[in-house]
Amino acid sequence: MRNLNARYRVRLVVVLALLLVSSTYGSAEPGGNGDGTRDMQCGGACHGDASLNGTSTANMQLSSETEIYEGIPTSLTLTVTGIDNGYNSLVGLFLLTDTTGHSDTPEDAGWEVLSDVNGGVNNYVEISLDSGQTEVSISWVVRASQVGTTSWYAAIHHGGSSIPYFGITPEALDVTVVEVPENLPRLSPDFSPPTVRTIGATTVFDVQTLETQEFIIEWKSDDGQIMTLNANSSATNSWQVEFPPALLPSTLQWRAVLDGEGPPQTTPWFTLVAEEASWEVSQLAVYVQAFALMFFTAGVVLVLQARFTRSEAYKQYDQTSEILPLDSTITPAAPVESQGPPIPADGLPAGWDEEQWKWYGHDYLAGKYGGEEV
Amino acid sequence: MISAATFHVITTELVVGSFALAGISFVLCLLLNLQILSKQSLRPAADSVAHAALLFGLLATPFAVVSGISSVPGGGLSSPILVNKMLMSMTGFGFALSALLCRWRMGDSVWNTPSSTWVQAISGGAASTAMLLTASAGGTFTRGESLLDILHLPYEHVLLFPVPLSGVYLLAGILLLVMGWKKSSSSIEH
Repeated sequence: MRNLNARYRVRLVVVLALLLVSSTYGSAEPGGNGDGTRDMQCGGACHGDASLNGTSTANMQLSSETEIYEGIPTSLTLTVTGIDNGYNSLVGLFLLTDTTGHSDTPEDAGWEVLSDVNGGVNNYVEISLDSGQTEVSISWVVRASQVGTTSWYAAIHHGGSSIPYFGITPEALDVTVVEVPENLPRLSPDFSPPTVRTIGATTVFDVQTLETQEFIIEWKSDDGQIMTLNANSSATNSWQVEFPPALLPSTLQWRAVLDGEGPPQTTPWFTLVAEEASWEVSQLAVYVQAFALMFFTAGVVLVLQARFTRSEAYKQYDQTSEILPLDSTITPAAPVESQGPPIPADGLPAGWDEEQWKWYGHDYLAGKYGGEEV
Repeated sequence: MISAATFHVITTELVVGSFALAGISFVLCLLLNLQILSKQSLRPAADSVAHAALLFGLLATPFAVVSGISSVPGGGLSSPILVNKMLMSMTGFGFALSALLCRWRMGDSVWNTPSSTWVQAISGGAASTAMLLTASAGGTFTRGESLLDILHLPYEHVLLFPVPLSGVYLLAGILLLVMGWKKSSSSIEH
């Protein structure tokens, strides 16, 4: 019966544990899910059951040049208005190349995201809105690796009072990629701009170009004032750029103005985010030490307690609570050998000898062994 | 539908509340068993509350740890504060586990002698302290401030052992746990 109860208790604990764990991983993420490369399916399914989503009332407008050159960065700007900012100030914005719900990221269509608004290279970004803010405008810098036409879409998802909301641009923005003219000054297709830098450190990096004879950097910080920076040519079509260190977490945007035999070109604005230096630690070391601390503290306490409680258990059978010191004035009496009762006047009973009488005579006199009680 | 962060808040509140109650009860047990408090009729109640609250907090702790790791953007160990949280919570878990094991294996004889009373009260109190410090570190991480900031605890510094040394401690801990388990068995037989 006791084992049965214990078994039921274990089952109950297991069931409760499963329920609690499942609620963690099968739930929405009102605190955001982090930037990343995500397809539209996430916009519906990250909130649990996609069929429970409401339609977002936000209006989205995606804009870009309609014809661009292959291998040259271009900017796609998304302007969102009418955002319901009453429930949660966080919105997630997608840049997509399809509406099927899967395989619809820019990478799937042969594009590369070079820069996003948060200092990453993701097609999905999360934006925190200020109180009362209902509009937002963000840009992605992308680069095509093949000629052709791509249909671009943008999507939004955000929380609501009771259900999550999802919305997508009703019409596609078609962007045609054509072959680049041979003498056009441009960034090298192999160049990937840095998106993050560490606070307090000067940012130095090389920019590779093609068909470029003059190279100027324009940059602006949060105040919007545009400043110019002359880059040093470290080699042919290679330019070294140096930005002053950031003192606080901030965002810097920069673009390159390139000149050569062909028509001058200006790149889109690239985003460079200044962050605190990342802190790294060996997860293995942390987890091993954590478990070591747990087992070691538990073991030490158990051993100590077993020792102290054990000595107490011995004391339970030691009835001498206090041992008095030996009194030297008292001389222990010499052991007295039993002599037995006096031998009756008519002698020992029949068949008894003196040794037996010495030990059992009392019993005989008490009426045992055939004697009469005295 | 709740997020890992919200779930973490729920479990953390359960853990902190339970451990705080356990900590107060262990202090009460200590004062009663050392005859500092004379109201001896409170001893059974204080003993029961201390260990029951500790058990509840212990059961909620793994959920708090797992949801805490899940809710941190960029992973659960991206900051020294989070590493210290992990180390302190596991240490508290060890203290709580040992206090409960002792109480389960040895019964109320853990309060029979001053030595065993101190060990039991310290292990329960240390578990509560570690968990409260963990919660304080969490407040410092999310809000940038905590009530225990008055202690100026060095949350930004991590004392991390090399893996081999931690491995030795881990093995020693398991060995001690087995030894303590066997000793507690033999003490029961006696």
